Amino acid sequence: MLSALKTYGTLIGFLLVVAFFAIEIPDTFMTAKNWLNISQQVSMLAVVAFTMTIVMAMGDFDLSVGSMASLAGIVAALAFRDGQAVWMGVMLALVVGLLGGLLNGALIAYVGILPFVATLGTLTVYSGLAFLVSGGKTIFGRDIPQVFSGFARAGLPLSGTVSLPALTILAALVLAAVWFTLEQTAFGRRLYAIGGNKEAARLAGIRVKRLRFLAFGLSGLGAATAGLMYASRVASANPTQGSGLMLDAIAAVFLGMTMSEEGEPHVLATLVGVMILGVLGNGLTQMSIDSYVREVLIGTIIVLAVASSSLGKARG
Amino acid sequence: MTLLSIRGLDKSFAGARALAGAALEVRAGEVHALMGENGAGKSTLIKVLAGVVKPDAGVIEMAGIPVAIATPADALNLGLRFIHQELSVVPHLSVAENIFLGRDYPRRWGLMIDWDGLNNAAAEVLSGLGVDHIRPGRKMARLTVGDQMLVKIAAAFGDAGRTAARLYVMDEPTAALSAEESRRLFAVIRRLRAEGAGIIYVSHRLDEVMELADRLTVLRDGATVATREVAGLDKREVIELMIGRSLAEGYPPRLAAIAEDVALKVEHLSTGMLDDVSFEVRKGEILGFAGLEGAGQSEAIRAIAGADGGHDGTVSLAGKPVKIHEPVSAWAKGLAFLPRERQQEGLVASASIAGNVSLPHLDDLLRFGLVLDRRAEAEQAVELGRKVKLKASGPRQKVRELSGGNQQKVVFARAIAGDPQVLLLDEPTRGVDVGARYDIHTLLRQLTAEGKAVVLASSDLPELVYMADRIVVFRGGKVAATVATAGLDQATLAALCFGSA
Repeated sequence: MLSALKTYGTLIGFLLVVAFFAIEIPDTFMTAKNWLNISQQVSMLAVVAFTMTIVMAMGDFDLSVGSMASLAGIVAALAFRDGQAVWMGVMLALVVGLLGGLLNGALIAYVGILPFVATLGTLTVYSGLAFLVSGGKTIFGRDIPQVFSGFARAGLPLSGTVSLPALTILAALVLAAVWFTLEQTAFGRRLYAIGGNKEAARLAGIRVKRLRFLAFGLSGLGAATAGLMYASRVASANPTQGSGLMLDAIAAVFLGMTMSEEGEPHVLATLVGVMILGVLGNGLTQMSIDSYVREVLIGTIIVLAVASSSLGKARG
Repeated sequence: MTLLSIRGLDKSFAGARALAGAALEVRAGEVHALMGENGAGKSTLIKVLAGVVKPDAGVIEMAGIPVAIATPADALNLGLRFIHQELSVVPHLSVAENIFLGRDYPRRWGLMIDWDGLNNAAAEVLSGLGVDHIRPGRKMARLTVGDQMLVKIAAAFGDAGRTAARLYVMDEPTAALSAEESRRLFAVIRRLRAEGAGIIYVSHRLDEVMELADRLTVLRDGATVATREVAGLDKREVIELMIGRSLAEGYPPRLAAIAEDVALKVEHLSTGMLDDVSFEVRKGEILGFAGLEGAGQSEAIRAIAGADGGHDGTVSLAGKPVKIHEPVSAWAKGLAFLPRERQQEGLVASASIAGNVSLPHLDDLLRFGLVLDRRAEAEQAVELGRKVKLKASGPRQKVRELSGGNQQKVVFARAIAGDPQVLLLDEPTRGVDVGARYDIHTLLRQLTAEGKAVVLASSDLPELVYMADRIVVFRGGKVAATVATAGLDQATLAALCFGSA
C-alpha cells in the first residue's frame, strides 16, 4: 500500500484534482475546449519545466530560467522595434538564451560554483539586463509584428469549434525532443549517471564538466523559447513577465520526481507535474477562487507529494 | 584491574563473518594495542563497542559487570570515548566551544554566555592533559590536525556532564599527524593512562605501537589470535601473528606464461604524493602494489588512470607514450580502472547493472551514432555478467539491490567490457565475501591468460603473494623495492612494507 502510494501517489492526486473540478464545474471543465485551453496555458511553463528536467537529471538546478525568459522576450521585442525581421528577432533571443545558459554552465562546471549560487547570481544579472535594455518599459503595440503575435493565436483546426493551439504543439515538440535526448541517447544516460554519482561517473570516463556545461545551455535555450512564447501570447514584452516560471518549473519537476522509484526526474513525469499545476490554476480560476489560494494549495501539494514519497522510501 | 572484557563476540554481515569469537581484555591504566590486517575485524569490534553495530553473540563486561551497548548513547554513559582519524569538529567555533559542545556554557546573569568563564574552564581541561600551547579562544579551523585531535580528546576527557571517561578507543589517531604532533598526542595518552584510564589503540604503525602500548591483542579473520605483553616482543613476531593465516586458503593456479611484450611502462611518475615511480607490466602479468595505507599504491594507480589530473613522467602503452590527464582518455586508450571505494567511486547505485556496465562504453552501443541500443546494452551485461559469475535477477536489476561481492563483479564487468589491454585495480577484493573473492581471482587468472596486463594494489598480503608475479613495494610515495613473488613469504613482504627489513 505504501509502495503504491510512493509511486502512484502523485498520479492519484492528479486524478483526484481532475475529478474534483469535473464535479464542481460540471458544464465547462471536462470539455475538449477547456483541456486545449489548459494545454495552451501551461505550454510556457511546460517548456521551461521540460528543459529544467535536463539539468535536474544531473542533480543540479537552474534558478535563472524565469529572468532568462523575460530577457529573451525583451531582446526579441527590441529587435522587432529596431525593424529586424521576425526570424532575426527570434534567433537573437534564442542565442541569448543559449549563451546565458552556457554562462551558467561554465560558472558551475568549470569555475566550480554551486548551481544554486551561480544561477541565483545570473538570475539577478539577467533580470537586471532585461530592465536595462528595455529601460524598464513594456514593449507592445505596433512594435510587435502581427506575424509574431499571430503565432500564439494560430492553431491546427480539429473540428468546427476547437483547434490545437500552436503553443501546445510547440510544447509537445519540446517534450518529444527532451524525452528523446534524456531517455534514448547516450547523452541522456550520462546525465542520469552524473545525477546518480558524479565521482563514479567521472572515473568511468564521463566528461562531467562538459556535459554540465552543455546541459545548462539547453536549459537556457528552453527558458528563451518560453520567453518568446509568452511574448507572442501577450503580444508584448516586459522585463518581469517570465519571473513566475522558475518556481513553478522546479515544482513541476519535483512533483514528477515523486513518481520515480529512484527519485530521478523524468520528463514524462514532469509533464504530470506541469498538468497538476495547470489544472489547479485553470479550475480555481473558473471557480473564481483567489489566486493566492492557488499558491497555498500548490505549495501544500508539493510538500505532501514529496513527503508521501520520502515516507514510502523510508519504509520501503 | 580489568576494565573491559569482551568474550566470544560474533558478527556476520550478509553471510560474511566479520567477527568469529573475538575476545579482548583491557586493564585500567594500560594502553592496549589492537592489531590485525585490514578486514581482520578491528573496526567491527570497535563499532560494536560504540553501539553502532549490534553483535550476533558475545559478552561485554565493564569492570566485571555485563553491559549491553545498543546505542552510541549507551557507550557514552558507560564511560567509553572514541577518537577517530576523521575528526568531527566544528571548524568555525573556538577551541573552548568545541570542548564544551553539547553542554551548557557558563552564563552571566543567566542569559549571556560567560566567554571568559568558558575559556578558563577550557584552559583548565587542556592543562589537565598537559596541553599548554593551545589558546582556548582560537578558532578550531586555525589549528593543525594534531592540535584539533588534542582538543577532541580534551572534549571527551572533560565531559563532566556525562559519566566520566574510563576507556578511550583511538582508531588510527596518528594517520594524519606529523611526528611532532604524534609526540604530543603520546604525551597526552600517557597522562590519561597515569590517571587510570584504559586506552584501546589501533594503528598500522608498528613502531608507534611498540613504543606506546603495554600489551597488544592480534585479531585475524575475526578471531583473537593472541594477547601479549609488548615488552620483550619484537616486530617480526607481531607481523607473523597478524598474517599467519594458513597458506591453504584457495587461490586459483596460474593458467599461462607471461609474454615478453611490455604492456604498460611507467617512468619517473611524480605527483604531489608520488616521487619518481617507475615500473613496467608485461602482457599476461599481474604486478602487485604493496605498502601501508597511503604509501603511494593507490595514488600511482589513480595517476595512471588520470583520476587526479596531471602528473609528471611518462606512461607508455605497448611502447607508445600516452598522455592521460582524465579518466575518459584512460578508457579510450584501453586502460580499465577499478577504483578503491566501490560505493563512492565505482557504482551508480540508482542505475541498473546494464547501465553501470555500459557507462564508459556508451559510444560503442549507439545506433545511427545517436540512439542508445538498449538491447545490445542488456546483452553485453548478460554476457559479461556470465563471465564474472554475477548472481542477479537480470541485466535491469538495480545495483543497490546486490550484495557487495556482486556489486564488485559489476564493476569488473564494466572494466573488461571494452576489451582493455591493461587493468588498474585498486583493492578489488576489499569487503568482498570469500566466494566472490575466489571468482574475482579466477577471473584475473583468465584475463592474464588472454594476454591482459594487470596492476593489483592490495593491502591483503596473501592475495599479493599468491596472485601477483612481481610486487612493487611503496613507502612514503616512492618505490622501496620490487620483488618477485616466487619464494617470497608474507613476513618478508610485510617487513618490506613496514620498512623494517
